[in-house]
Amino acid sequence: MRDTFLLRHGAKILGLGVLCALAIYAASSLFVAGSYVLAALPVLAAGIITYIFLSGRRYPIRWLVPGLLFLFVMVLYPIGYTFLGSLTNLGTGHMLPREQAIEQLLDRTYAPSNAERYSYLVFQDAAGSFVFLLQGRETILVLNGQATAISLPDERFVDETGDGQPDYILNYRRLETLEIVALLPTLQQVRVVYEGMTFGIDSLTEFSVQMPKYSYDEAAETMTDLETGMAYTVVQGIFTSEKGEEIYPGYRVWVGFANYIRLITNPQISAPFARVFLWTIAFAVLSVALSFTLGLGLAMLLNDPRIRMRTLYRVLVIVPYAIPSFVTILVWRGMLNQNFGVINQMLMSFFGSAGRVQWLENPWVAKAACLLVNLWLGYPYMMIVALGALQSIPHELYEASHVDGASRWQQFRKITLPMLLMPLAPLLIGSFAFNFNNFNLIYLLTQGRPAVPNTLTPAGATDILLSYTYRLSFEGQRGNQLGLACAVSVVIFLVIATISAINFRMTGTLEELSKNV
Amino acid sequence: MKRVVVLVLGVLLLAGIAATASVAGKLLIWADDTRTPIMQEVAAQFTAAYGVEVEIQQVGFSDMPGQLLTAGPAGEGPDILIGPHDKLGELIQNGLLEPIVLPTAVIREFNPSAITAFSWGGLLYGVPYAIENVALIYNKALLPVLPSTFEGLLTLAKGLTDIEAGTYGLLIQEPDPFHTFALHSAGGGYIFGFDANGVLNPCDVGLDNAGSIAGAKLLDQMVKDGIEVAGADYGLVTGLFGQGKLAAMIGGPWTLADVQKAGINYAVAAIPTIGGNVPKVFSGVQAFEISYYSKNKVLANLFVKDFLITKPVMLRLFELGNRPPCYLPALADLSGNADIQGFAAAGANSIPMPNIPQMNSVWGPWSDALALIVNQQLDPETAMKNAANQIRTTLGCP
Amino acid sequence: MYSRHTLIGSIVRHALLLLAVAFAMFPFLWVLSASFNVTDGMQMQRLIPPNPTLAHYKDLFTSPQYKFGIWLWNSVKISLITSAFVVALTALAAYSFSRFRFKGRRVGLLGLLLVQMFPQMLAIVALYVLLLTMGDFFPFAGMNTHTGLIMIYLGGAMGFNTWLMKGYFDTIPRSLEESAKVDGATPFQAFVRIILPLVRPILATIFVLTFISVYSDFMIASIVLRTAEQQTIPVGLRVLISDNYGNRWALFAAGAVISALPFLAVFLVAQRSLVSGLTRGGVKE
Repeated sequence: MRDTFLLRHGAKILGLGVLCALAIYAASSLFVAGSYVLAALPVLAAGIITYIFLSGRRYPIRWLVPGLLFLFVMVLYPIGYTFLGSLTNLGTGHMLPREQAIEQLLDRTYAPSNAERYSYLVFQDAAGSFVFLLQGRETILVLNGQATAISLPDERFVDETGDGQPDYILNYRRLETLEIVALLPTLQQVRVVYEGMTFGIDSLTEFSVQMPKYSYDEAAETMTDLETGMAYTVVQGIFTSEKGEEIYPGYRVWVGFANYIRLITNPQISAPFARVFLWTIAFAVLSVALSFTLGLGLAMLLNDPRIRMRTLYRVLVIVPYAIPSFVTILVWRGMLNQNFGVINQMLMSFFGSAGRVQWLENPWVAKAACLLVNLWLGYPYMMIVALGALQSIPHELYEASHVDGASRWQQFRKITLPMLLMPLAPLLIGSFAFNFNNFNLIYLLTQGRPAVPNTLTPAGATDILLSYTYRLSFEGQRGNQLGLACAVSVVIFLVIATISAINFRMTGTLEELSKNV
Repeated sequence: MKRVVVLVLGVLLLAGIAATASVAGKLLIWADDTRTPIMQEVAAQFTAAYGVEVEIQQVGFSDMPGQLLTAGPAGEGPDILIGPHDKLGELIQNGLLEPIVLPTAVIREFNPSAITAFSWGGLLYGVPYAIENVALIYNKALLPVLPSTFEGLLTLAKGLTDIEAGTYGLLIQEPDPFHTFALHSAGGGYIFGFDANGVLNPCDVGLDNAGSIAGAKLLDQMVKDGIEVAGADYGLVTGLFGQGKLAAMIGGPWTLADVQKAGINYAVAAIPTIGGNVPKVFSGVQAFEISYYSKNKVLANLFVKDFLITKPVMLRLFELGNRPPCYLPALADLSGNADIQGFAAAGANSIPMPNIPQMNSVWGPWSDALALIVNQQLDPETAMKNAANQIRTTLGCP
Repeated sequence: MYSRHTLIGSIVRHALLLLAVAFAMFPFLWVLSASFNVTDGMQMQRLIPPNPTLAHYKDLFTSPQYKFGIWLWNSVKISLITSAFVVALTALAAYSFSRFRFKGRRVGLLGLLLVQMFPQMLAIVALYVLLLTMGDFFPFAGMNTHTGLIMIYLGGAMGFNTWLMKGYFDTIPRSLEESAKVDGATPFQAFVRIILPLVRPILATIFVLTFISVYSDFMIASIVLRTAEQQTIPVGLRVLISDNYGNRWALFAAGAVISALPFLAVFLVAQRSLVSGLTRGGVKE
């Protein structure tokens, strides 16, 4: 065992070494770039991983490291981000961080009416410095950062080609259009100040007046409009004047738990809350129950060795799963069209106009339609899982009970079902949680509609908690309110986590966790 | 096993391509699939003239504002993109667009209402290339003479509707506020009113005034008479029209491509008077916009001003999208085009859709009200009143 | 569990299965017939199109604007790679949860389950920033790369998959590993050489479930993948119908039909393992 020992441990040490090196590289780059908080993360992560791999006691955790690594970065970090976002007023007009918003405002320029424009020529010397010749109302030469008016002819100019324009000024050579284009990234930054006016490049041939529009007083946190003289102070992240005018963009500010308070006290949420919540629960429970029943039933049928062509059946029956759901949901929506959908057309050919079911227009039928489509989408998953789980039930149990004279139904109830529910209970709870938040289906199939007549809130008959609250966030007062939507996510997570935790306790799943070690 | 590992690693390495972003010295343009061909043609010309690389990325038209919101500030956005005017307010409030300065002479070459649609705070934020509004499109074989009143049209439509045979007289795509606005506006209905300074006042909601309710009642009557049928979405309405089973529909220029392919003898006209009043329709304007986060503003401006504002390009955009150009010289060339004239006649009294973010709160309740009416679940007056009150509540109006 | 063969029983079973097949296939058949339709328009079609045409299928693969072939290849590639890694990661974690006792085991398992319940709709902005930062250090794993996308999917690998696998591992008697330990094998060797072959059904299950989940994903792929050459099928197909007034239903239907094929192929291969049954030849209980 000696040589493999060295090999294995050598590989491990090498791997850890590479990991630490990468972490230090990442941390130092982040540090240099100024993100001190972010820079600590790779070091922390590498440190923890190294500890886990070197400590004998933490051996079991080594198995978890790869999966956990991805989990932390890809799942937990967005959750953290969402939570932090819920404490801000992120939304239309408040998307940017403060520095970026101020920077953008200070970048703004204006041109006074009747501002002059100058056509320009650019000259460059061997060292790369520039000289500009502006021609308009006056002729201005920009040399060594100074702009002075000159009169032609100037002795520093050399016109070789005889086109009336200088080809050389001192040792600066005139640049062709294509050369200007190539140098634009640099040239765009150039500002020329002359007689109190600031000029900048406007196009390939012209300079125009570009006066800064705003000036910012850091201490007083006031933005002054240099064109009109109006002063703007910060109100909730937007620069607002005394008269209430606002300049955009604003920036995002911390608002503490204001979003959560709004959620709880908003009458548009509290009024339909009971109705929407009950439907959400019913939808989730029924979806799980229906798809599990159908999935399990099909799994048992397809497990039966007496049926031939099982493979063919299995493949045909799995088809709903094979097509991306946003495609199939749209197809269902078309099929359920009241007057022109296939389903009603078939029904009407049998039952006349009584067959015209208002699938998506009648509140109760629409709820049924959601369940139907969700069943169609969900049973393949249950079937696959049940197929796998059915394998884990030892045949001897069935043989023994058969010898004891048990009927098939008794076998199902006493052997199959209990032995399935043990591993599958958490999956069913998970499926419940998934459907509780099944925004995708509701949005694509009904968008929460049909509207319930005579309510003052926009909650539709098939709206689930998540779809309704998101809609409020995005169709609210002032455009998209992402901070509010983040708060919604957190609240709904708390709701569903609580329900699931209760369910776990009730199904004895937690006890199951401590078993079998 | 080892070979598989090597293969997988190799594939992973090859899979990486440098992130695409607004890079100084290279232009990145977002275009939807209808406009991508023309943008590629112009891009080739631009590259030939200036040696600057231009990349066109195909993005869904309705996805662009949302994507710009995340991509722009992160430095991943385009230099130039196209956009509808009703999203303008939202984009500007998020600081995403760069004002475009055009000489007065050039501005005069554009449809003035299009320029207004893309102006905000006195600055122009887009170069408009297409303006669209709905009109009445009818099948000349089924409807040789268009009545001058809407009521007359309805009478004819009733006669032409036979549900068993699957033929219809007049269908309005359901229950779409954009298309039914004509019914409301004829009697004086509006969405947001203007205050004394000519600025939209979001708390002046006009969806439950007399004119709007009259329009809702008209829609209700159409359903009761069997003319308007629930479930008639865009695909169905244009499909029926293309098969010659629909005499008339209210539609926009985007429907013409399929109608022409089907070979129907059609005509475009203004929507007839309703109750003696000329209905107003919504107009939507599309324009080229420059992202504030572009690192190549001079080049972007050059591209737009010198290469896009030309008659050939504007005409080509018309060919691809079927929408009347905003560029007047191009429009003049199309004076012989009956369709364009028809849309222009319908749009003579058009008003641009309001471009303030508060519009987000309007479409939902309004569509719901129309759905309730079309499905005969609520009477028109209550439905519109509820919708208007819902909007007022959402916007926090007194 | 299953009693003798009877004719009536056989007929009943087949009837039930046919009913299920009809329910499952009907929308698919609708989409299939639409893809052969000459004219576009979902509401206008009949079940058997009057003049069936294969033109749309040809258009899909030859159209310069819609790079369907590339999308298909991208989707299959990404889904296969992700599923393989997910199975590996999950098996490692599940084995640890099943066999070892360590601090944080209970909390960890519970946490894995709960974390998956967080509505991830707004993860968009967070992931965007994350990818950009990653792209700065590892250009092959940043924005618009398949590697970056796969890494995001791997984040969601643990969770219910781990639970499912752990439950399955629990049913395997430990005596197998005990005897291996006596022979001098490390837990990892026992895991790879003895346990893994025994749990093929559950590995196949997780592989299949992950494959389709990754394959059909639209939200995350649409944030990460920006250029047509990099995009996957759901993202590409959506372009066909995102413009509200575009009428490309038949082309879209053809795309949907073809996009179903890879998963069906994967399922066909995997379903044998799904029901292969547990071979408990190792030790008699």
